[in-house]
Amino acid sequence: MPPSQLKRLKASLREQGITGPQKSKKQKKKGLSTETKIRRNVALESIRESFNPFEVKHLSRPSKHDITTPSTLNGKTANGALGRPGISKSLGEQKRQKTLLLEVQGRNKVGGIIDRRIGEDDPNMTAEEKALQRYSWERQRKKKKGNVFDLEDGDDDEDLLTHGGRTLDEDYDAASVDGGSDDEDMQQTRKRVREELEDLETRLDEEEPDRKKSRAEVMDEVVKKSKLYKFERQRAKEDDDDMRMELDKDLSDVRAALGAFQQALSKPKPVVEAVAEPEPPAMHPDRMALIEGSQSKEAPKSYDQQLRAMLQDGRAKPTDRIRSEEEIQAEAAAKAKELEDSRQKRMMGEDEESEDEAPVDEPENIFTQEEHDDAADFGFKSKVRHSRPEGIDDEDDFILEDDLIASESEPEEDEASVASDDASSVGSVDELMEEHREGLSNGFKGPMSCPRTLEEVMAVFDHIPYEDYHETMRSIRLRSDPSIHPTHKARLDDFAAALVEFLANLPSKSEPPSSEIFDVVIRHIHSMARKSAESISTAFRQQLRQMHATKSMTPGDLVILTAIGTIYPTSDHFHQIVTPAIILMARWLGLTTPSTPQTLTTGAYLGALCLKYQALSKRYIPELARFTLAALVKSTSTALLAPHIVNLLSFATLWQHKSALPELLTPFLKPLATLNQPKALQRINVLLAQAALGRRPLALHNHRPLAIKSAAPKFEESFDPTKHYDHDAARAETQKLKREFKKERKGAMRELRKDANFLARTKLKEKRDKDRAYDDKYRKLVAEIQGEEGHEAKQYEKERRLRRGKK
Amino acid sequence: MPPFAPKAVNGKKRKAIPQEEPLHPKKSKSSPSPPHESIPELEKAISESRKHYNNIVKLQELAFPKNTKAKPSTEAVIALCRVFCRLFASGSFELPKNSGKSEISIVEWLEGRKREYNSCLLAAFSQDGSYMSQAAVIPLAMRLVAAETSAVGESRWRSGLFSQLVRHLIIGGVHSEPARSIFTEEYFTAFDDVRYHTLQILQDILKNDASNNNELLSPVIELLLSLDEPPTEDEDLDSFLSASSKAAKSTLQSVKKQKKMVEQTWLSILGLPLNKKQRKDILRVFVHQIIPWFNRLERLMDFLTDCYDQGGETTLLALAGLFHLMQEKNLDYPSFFEKLYSLLDDGLLHSKHRSRFFRLLDTFMTSTHLPSNLVASFIKRLSRLALYAPPSGVVVVIPWIYNMFKRHPATTFMIHRVSRCAEETEEWETYGAEDPFSMDEQDPMETKAMESSLWELETLQSHYHPNVATLAKIISEQFTKESYNLEDFLDHSYNSLLDVELEKDLKKIPVVEYQIPKTILHGEAGDQNLGALLQQVIAVS
Repeated sequence: MPPSQLKRLKASLREQGITGPQKSKKQKKKGLSTETKIRRNVALESIRESFNPFEVKHLSRPSKHDITTPSTLNGKTANGALGRPGISKSLGEQKRQKTLLLEVQGRNKVGGIIDRRIGEDDPNMTAEEKALQRYSWERQRKKKKGNVFDLEDGDDDEDLLTHGGRTLDEDYDAASVDGGSDDEDMQQTRKRVREELEDLETRLDEEEPDRKKSRAEVMDEVVKKSKLYKFERQRAKEDDDDMRMELDKDLSDVRAALGAFQQALSKPKPVVEAVAEPEPPAMHPDRMALIEGSQSKEAPKSYDQQLRAMLQDGRAKPTDRIRSEEEIQAEAAAKAKELEDSRQKRMMGEDEESEDEAPVDEPENIFTQEEHDDAADFGFKSKVRHSRPEGIDDEDDFILEDDLIASESEPEEDEASVASDDASSVGSVDELMEEHREGLSNGFKGPMSCPRTLEEVMAVFDHIPYEDYHETMRSIRLRSDPSIHPTHKARLDDFAAALVEFLANLPSKSEPPSSEIFDVVIRHIHSMARKSAESISTAFRQQLRQMHATKSMTPGDLVILTAIGTIYPTSDHFHQIVTPAIILMARWLGLTTPSTPQTLTTGAYLGALCLKYQALSKRYIPELARFTLAALVKSTSTALLAPHIVNLLSFATLWQHKSALPELLTPFLKPLATLNQPKALQRINVLLAQAALGRRPLALHNHRPLAIKSAAPKFEESFDPTKHYDHDAARAETQKLKREFKKERKGAMRELRKDANFLARTKLKEKRDKDRAYDDKYRKLVAEIQGEEGHEAKQYEKERRLRRGKK
Repeated sequence: MPPFAPKAVNGKKRKAIPQEEPLHPKKSKSSPSPPHESIPELEKAISESRKHYNNIVKLQELAFPKNTKAKPSTEAVIALCRVFCRLFASGSFELPKNSGKSEISIVEWLEGRKREYNSCLLAAFSQDGSYMSQAAVIPLAMRLVAAETSAVGESRWRSGLFSQLVRHLIIGGVHSEPARSIFTEEYFTAFDDVRYHTLQILQDILKNDASNNNELLSPVIELLLSLDEPPTEDEDLDSFLSASSKAAKSTLQSVKKQKKMVEQTWLSILGLPLNKKQRKDILRVFVHQIIPWFNRLERLMDFLTDCYDQGGETTLLALAGLFHLMQEKNLDYPSFFEKLYSLLDDGLLHSKHRSRFFRLLDTFMTSTHLPSNLVASFIKRLSRLALYAPPSGVVVVIPWIYNMFKRHPATTFMIHRVSRCAEETEEWETYGAEDPFSMDEQDPMETKAMESSLWELETLQSHYHPNVATLAKIISEQFTKESYNLEDFLDHSYNSLLDVELEKDLKKIPVVEYQIPKTILHGEAGDQNLGALLQQVIAVS
């Protein structure tokens, strides 16, 4: 059982040496030294504290085990004390009295005097320190006062602007603003004010720095300053007005010029004239409209119109400098390089569009809707797929005749014009439309209207000799040029589409034209393909669809396929017209057995065409190899055989870097030997030998090896079980924020509650004080009256006694 | 057409159609032909009393006139059919016990008339210009058959009109094609007893006549191929044409017996020398339509192995059946994979049975315990074939090879081989790497495909078809996908590829070539003069 409170108190007092054995009188008399007194007080205080059970807060359930470290992880002291509520409460109280109480007292009160005297309340500062601080504060305030860029304010030496060693101060005003004569008086005022200010400042400087200014002086200074600022503002505003007036004056001239220009362009508009009238010369139309009010609707409108017209008015461009030969060549080379780059990109199938258009997620999958179709990943059977290279630059409204290079992918017009200006830079000019600029001066009579259907085209072209085809087409295209009338665009589109159809029918005429005529028609279509790209593409696709449906290969089809091969870039990885075209050709080659002369020649032509398609991209066509092999085995006449051998040699050369060339060419050796073609045989043998030498085993999988998934547990250094370890960083972050918020909220609520308690307490105290004061006053008054009454009563008694005595 | 629909003969359907119905249209039509008594009257009189039996002769005269000028009356034929049916039903063809001489003579006379009528009906098959179409004869004949067998008994199937009818149908060959199709559709597959007895008769025919007459076989096979899968339960066998069949439950209502009958018929067919087309026809439906009818599959082994050994398409087709036997009956076929390997020939990827073959091949090669050498041979050979294949073939081969690589990682040496030592590298540098693979080697274990590389597939990565090229690139990318579902790649063709490309609309305007060439056809500077070639094409066509 622990000893009693009293015993413990006694023991601790003895320990501290406060109580001890009895002292002699002498010792008592001698008294205690100050040092001992202080120590004694401290010791008493600590004893008092330790005996107050509410002074220190402890854990409600003390820890089970002894802790040897002075402080635990949570920052609690070793003895398990959580805090000192008494002290913290009193601290809070003090703080509230300093802040909250003052605020509450100052509530609903306006004005008051804030004491900003330096060191007035601080007993720790000596007089010298106070003086020093006051001085330094004053210097700082002076420095801070003006704008850094305020030239007139610069009274400090280091801030002064000089020129040639002399200050700029004296003649600054005259030099800068001597344009207007009408503001002389204003200048004068300004000067006066400035002088006054300077005077004031010098006076201030002369004074003792730490002398306190009198109130009157301070007020004077303030008034002067505010006057100066007001004056400055006024001046700036008037300057602005001046400038605006000036501009308005000029505007009338400008508008007159503009009006004249617009009149020249189109019919003169009355509104424009009204505004252009110089009658109120310098007045802003907006302002005028405001003043006049009646035309308030019209005037701003006209103003806006004019503004817009001005905005859209083409600025005079500098004329193109005449370029030197090298520059022209460099530009042409750059252009060619750019084109080649974009072609290469398309060949690799790396256009931006095809990348973002992933072929995987095709919603329209006819075959396996519910499950994933592996084949659809590669575009098989999925209805829509892919990509196309860059879209058209619609704003490029360059006139076709000036720009014979058909391409949508050119970004700048200037480049195009450069290319067309210098024909040799691109290597191909179309003579087709060369004489266009003179118009139809050579007197050629073409059809007056633009034929828009196949029938109309046939009607036009059937009656003219082949030689006139070019001239006729040219004249049709010139007459229907879109620059003449916007509707001509549709006409030309139709004409182009009809021409494609016409081309397909051309070889089946009773008297088929020569190759030149095909060339002319194809080139005209090519030339139109830029403007009428959509209609021509659709027409070609229509032709392809027909071929697909009929499964035959007529000479007309061959011509169409040839035209596709020249008009569209055949090296593209995917092209909406070229890809179906090559599949069609391959289908014919794959499904036809070369037996008749007709199939043999058609096959030879198609083979040559296929090779032309793949000249750049060098893609492999199995059907061609197979067909050629079959043709060599089957065919009998040398005339029919020759083109196939040419095809064989050209594809052998084209595909000479394919790794499977030996497998590809070996089957040809035997038929070539039987056909007795030593030249071809030799060439093939050479290629085979080269291929054999260049052959290496495949090493396709030089990939970085995939990492094996680790199953080892993640080890956390300095693991703390009280902490949350969340893998998800974002979630952890939000958790942390939530916790923080909760904590803050709790704290804030606690504070508010304490504040409210404090306020209530204060109010109560105030009320009590008031009541007590009232009580005191009342009692005082009562006592006074009673005293008076008693006095009067005594007086009365006295008087009565006196009167009785008299009696 | 005959006024009663063939279905009206069916016992079940009969209730739905009133008996008198056929009479009504007759009255309206009958006016022109008979100069004396009308056909319905004649018919009615017969059923009223035996006295009028002679009307039968009159009707026969109307139905099958002796003099060629007179127009045969279809109504009379139908009326006669009805008369005989009624007579059968009333038992007029049966001799009661202790019957007198006159009775016997009447029955004999009736038999004679009936025989006459039957032969007239069947005459439709024998000659071209018969009075009645074959299609019309079948329902009449079958109605008579039903009446006859119901009244007289089971034996009449084999001896009576029915056997004659079936014989005529078979012997008629191409000529009796339409009748046969009606018979097949409406009787042979519909009625269980008809099927049973037809098969019996067919067996007789096969035994006696067909062994030296190959032409007879085709109709028989055709008839048999019309059979779908067999019924599973005895209770399912409940549609009979003849009333007497219901009594003979034991034979006709047992699935086992029915199956046995089919099996025996098939066996007797398969035992005969078949031509190529017949074999293919049989093999095409083998697994689904023929095998289910067999109680003892082992009996098919000889036929299948024979077919498999034949080579070509027949082998391809026999593969499925053979595999089924190997799976179900543990058939041991020696050097199966060698045979399979030999199937990979030039025509395979162009063949229309390509997808069927690849489905099976995928199944055969599922095992991961196959020797890698064997798998490598298959891979190499198929990729060699793909070098000349159409896109649709390439598209099947590549995912299949990918799956094989995944299943047999040892074979991936064929796409990635690094030199093991410096000497090897040097040798490659100086002489080039040689291809040890031998395309002519028959044994897939000996082809040395493992030491080769799949240059063919690498070449196909630059295939002209963009999607094929992209697909071929999976070989050189990391093998992260578990496997490709081969089924998705099987059924492509030029047409489907073109459809995909051409069906969709132009979404964006295609790029146009920048330069306009000076010459296109005319005066081509290259090796080939396109213009001249085109002129040649135009001239030829």
